[in-house]
Amino acid sequence: MDWSYVIINAIVLACIYGTLAIGVSITWSSLGLINMSFGFIFSFAGYGAWLVAQHISHNGVVILASGILTGALGGVIVCALAFIPLHDKPNFTIRGMIATLAISLFGTQALLWYFGPRVKNIPPVFGYGSIKVFGSTMTYDKVGAVLTSILMLTAVLLWMKSSRRGLEIRAMMQNPHAASIVGIGVRRTGFYVMAITGGLAGLASVLLSQTYYLQAFGGITPMIKGLSVALCGGLGSVTGVVIAAVILGINEAMTSRFWGGQYVLITQFGLIILILLIRPRGIAGILDKAREA
Amino acid sequence: MPTWKDPYSSWDPTGPIDEIPTNEWRSPESSWDAAREYKVPTHPVGRLRYYYKWPGHGKSLWNRLRYFPTRRTVLRFRGEYNPKTLRRENTIIDKRPIWWMLGFVALMVAPFVMPEGNRVLLSAAAVFSIYAAINLCWTLVIGTAGIYSLATYAIVGAGAYGSAYLSIHFGLPIPLMLLAGGLIGLVFGILIAIPAVRLEGFYYALLTLGVVELCRVYIIQSKAFGSEIGGLYGAASYIPEAWDEFAQLRLGYYAAATALVAALVLFRFINGKRLGRLLRMAPEKREAFAEATGVNYRVARIQVFLISSAALGVIGAFYASHFRGASPNLFGFDTVAMGLAMLVIGGLGRAEGAVLGTLIVVFIDRVLIDLGPLRIVLIGVLMLFVVLFLRGGVFGIKAQFRVWRDKKKSENRSARAEKGGEMLPEEATEVRDKDELAFRRYDKNQRDFLKTLVSDEVIEEFKNKPLGQHSEALERLLTYFRRQPMVDKYAIKCVEPFKAYQIVALSGISGVPPRLVEDKIYSSREDAWVGVFTRRIQDLLES
Amino acid sequence: MTDQFPVLQIDGLSAGYGPMRVIHDLDLVVSAGEKVGLVGLNGHGKSTLFLAIAGLTHWQRGSIKLNEKQIGRNRSQGPGRYTHQIVHHGLSLIPQGDEIFQGLTVKDHLDSGAYTKSAWRNRAGRRKEILQIFPALEQLMDTSVGRLSGGERRMVAIGRGLMAKASLYLVDEPTLGLAPKLGKGVLEALFDIELGESAMVIAEQNVALLDGRVDRIIGMHVGKLKGEAAASLAYQTKREI
Repeated sequence: MDWSYVIINAIVLACIYGTLAIGVSITWSSLGLINMSFGFIFSFAGYGAWLVAQHISHNGVVILASGILTGALGGVIVCALAFIPLHDKPNFTIRGMIATLAISLFGTQALLWYFGPRVKNIPPVFGYGSIKVFGSTMTYDKVGAVLTSILMLTAVLLWMKSSRRGLEIRAMMQNPHAASIVGIGVRRTGFYVMAITGGLAGLASVLLSQTYYLQAFGGITPMIKGLSVALCGGLGSVTGVVIAAVILGINEAMTSRFWGGQYVLITQFGLIILILLIRPRGIAGILDKAREA
Repeated sequence: MPTWKDPYSSWDPTGPIDEIPTNEWRSPESSWDAAREYKVPTHPVGRLRYYYKWPGHGKSLWNRLRYFPTRRTVLRFRGEYNPKTLRRENTIIDKRPIWWMLGFVALMVAPFVMPEGNRVLLSAAAVFSIYAAINLCWTLVIGTAGIYSLATYAIVGAGAYGSAYLSIHFGLPIPLMLLAGGLIGLVFGILIAIPAVRLEGFYYALLTLGVVELCRVYIIQSKAFGSEIGGLYGAASYIPEAWDEFAQLRLGYYAAATALVAALVLFRFINGKRLGRLLRMAPEKREAFAEATGVNYRVARIQVFLISSAALGVIGAFYASHFRGASPNLFGFDTVAMGLAMLVIGGLGRAEGAVLGTLIVVFIDRVLIDLGPLRIVLIGVLMLFVVLFLRGGVFGIKAQFRVWRDKKKSENRSARAEKGGEMLPEEATEVRDKDELAFRRYDKNQRDFLKTLVSDEVIEEFKNKPLGQHSEALERLLTYFRRQPMVDKYAIKCVEPFKAYQIVALSGISGVPPRLVEDKIYSSREDAWVGVFTRRIQDLLES
Repeated sequence: MTDQFPVLQIDGLSAGYGPMRVIHDLDLVVSAGEKVGLVGLNGHGKSTLFLAIAGLTHWQRGSIKLNEKQIGRNRSQGPGRYTHQIVHHGLSLIPQGDEIFQGLTVKDHLDSGAYTKSAWRNRAGRRKEILQIFPALEQLMDTSVGRLSGGERRMVAIGRGLMAKASLYLVDEPTLGLAPKLGKGVLEALFDIELGESAMVIAEQNVALLDGRVDRIIGMHVGKLKGEAAASLAYQTKREI
């Protein structure tokens, strides 16, 4: 019984999906926008990193950084197209969701058209070695994935706690009306939020592409998984998302080990529905009403 | 220089007839017309609702063609008597049945007007009908029931796969296939409806998205459902293989068109009848009101959801028998996104919106196939444009334009408004005596006109002859001044008879003495009159 | 009174909600260094006036000038769209019924009020000054504001409003919902603030609390200012020099 392998896999998956889920959660709670174009930002960042790997250098850090930066750029573009025109119009939540969906639609198609349908490969960021942890082998990319995502998330959370922009974002998460009274502009904060969550998506993209190939539609499944993790954890709280990511990561690892990969999603969703039936706001949802922008 | 002849000077036979220079004559209506002019550029489109008046046909309005056994007439007419032309005339109240009928005729006649030998158009038209049927059921769920479910294609796919599987392995005939599809759709719908009870709008939408993805991954990896061949093929189809290609296409088209008409009828029966009415009472913000009235909207929502799920299952089975199988494309994120695009472009929540949106998207997708992936980019950009700028899709343009125009009108009126001028609506609702509104408007116009009359000649004329007959311009001014209400009206106080006079302002309240306006002392009555006149002219020009 | 710099100048303001007009043709000038009390019953437009100045409601006619700069416009954009810009021009609004961020701690709250760069850099110093005004907040620095009592919340809200050096402080009903002693304490703290070049307008229902401590008291009745016009009204008082 390869428990350690299962646990390690679970942790890796939890880290990667947790990154995406925290991005979704922050966007939803501070801007009131459900970002359905995360999949597009994901593949956009992946292709950006690939271009850098092709033309500039194969250095792991450079690739990672370029992925994050391209992701941030993608986030800013989506913000400008979908959030800024719509944020004070009526029915903002639905229209925002549909607008981001539209961006995802034509964005992924544009990527498909430009880069072609063949899958691409990003050179490994962390090298080819492996180390032994708790009696089972972990390749460097898995170690690297866990470490980088935890590092980046900690950095982001620390920044949110200590800087003025982070304070603005947190204030907007709680009470947007009061935030404008204190001089926090919704649009500028929106750009910051989307840039950060785009960067997180870019990070997840580079990390995931170590294991899977890069393709235009490759971002859809991780986005949906990230959305469900965020949903399960409760939109608006980071702790809940972390807990949900851990639970679902464990679930995915165990299901793929015992029953096979095709049943993973079924068990995932069964678990999510169960949790949501017990606590409709998610595990730790602090907002007692769905935020009205 | 126009002059005015003083008529009283003709009584004096010796003296000359006075010709006093005065203003050019202006019609007092000119300022009224100028103010009433509507300066915002309004285009003929949508400026005024214009109803064509059909001549009355002498028969009484109640003796008309009706749909037996109801008392519903074919078209709703309103008959009036026109006092100007002295004739009866009819107006059609609601022209939409005409458009639907024309659309139906177009649907039936379409294959015969398409260019001969064009397979693409015919098959695209069949696809359009099927997708339009799916979108109509989806509109039922999103618009009428208000449940934001993105799982429509999951249900359709489940129905398609299920009935295809049953047909391949158990050889079900087509009618039973449709029935089986409906049952599968219903079961799926029940499964998906359970979380809808507990979850709110967006959480539910995300969940359904996940369900679609779940189905896709499962189907792709499941051998029983044809994972190796990329889909399940070989289901029984109502299109006989023996016919030639165009006959097959045409039959397929007409069957799909029948499915579309059936979906339209279903939409009408649910949206227009009891369930739809109940749900219209309970939109997002007014659920508490519906609950307080005793309307069980939750049950109604679930009922609509289940009915539309069953319908979607039937359509799925039809899809399987039309295309002779099913493929996992049905569960792709792209299909869901395109379906949403179809709904959004046409207008979320309306049947005509669903049909029009489907038409546009299918046209771009299937007919303009030469563009390659760019056509989906086009659809996406169109969807983004509609969501950003059009509230309510293509069919909401008229209402949106009207709202915008009203806003512009009221902004213009606000910008034009001045203190003491015409009242704005928010003042008007608070004022007790509504005659005040008309008076204020008239007064403002009159003052605007009088301002144009003030000129040096007029003031000279008054200074030369304060009393007596005056020219028209001066006469109008003086009459206006003398008719002022008593509050704050200027009067002359005699400090010392024939030697000193002062200007005071009456208070208008009995018992309150007038107040002194200025300290200046005038040495004669005429000077005092001129002083009062000057002050009044000043006040007029400032007001 | 010497001709001072008009921090706030309102001309002919008409504001309302939909067809109902709440403020009719209001003219108001507040000069630098002045503390003005605005009294009137509930529902007569005091809060609407503050919200209109801050750009949080639509207003239909007139003009508002803050530090001689025209702020806001009477075209109907979304309310609150330009509020943060107006705040950056030098407005500090302390709204009625505190608008607080429930999840943040008191320290974060006070920090969020420092919206200018200089205020942010000196935020520790400013926080100390606020603590001198409201010493009771010392112990509560790390509790989340959602858990504080009404009076403490009011102190946090006012403290947040005072963190940045604004040109105009608009305080809306500081004693609302507070016990009388607490209310008096809060008002005393407000009166003791050194204004310098700024101005403060305090909207309050209880005239007695303001008596003698402010430079001017203006009454507001049904959306019109009443105290300024006629000298004969007993509500007008002047500060003893």
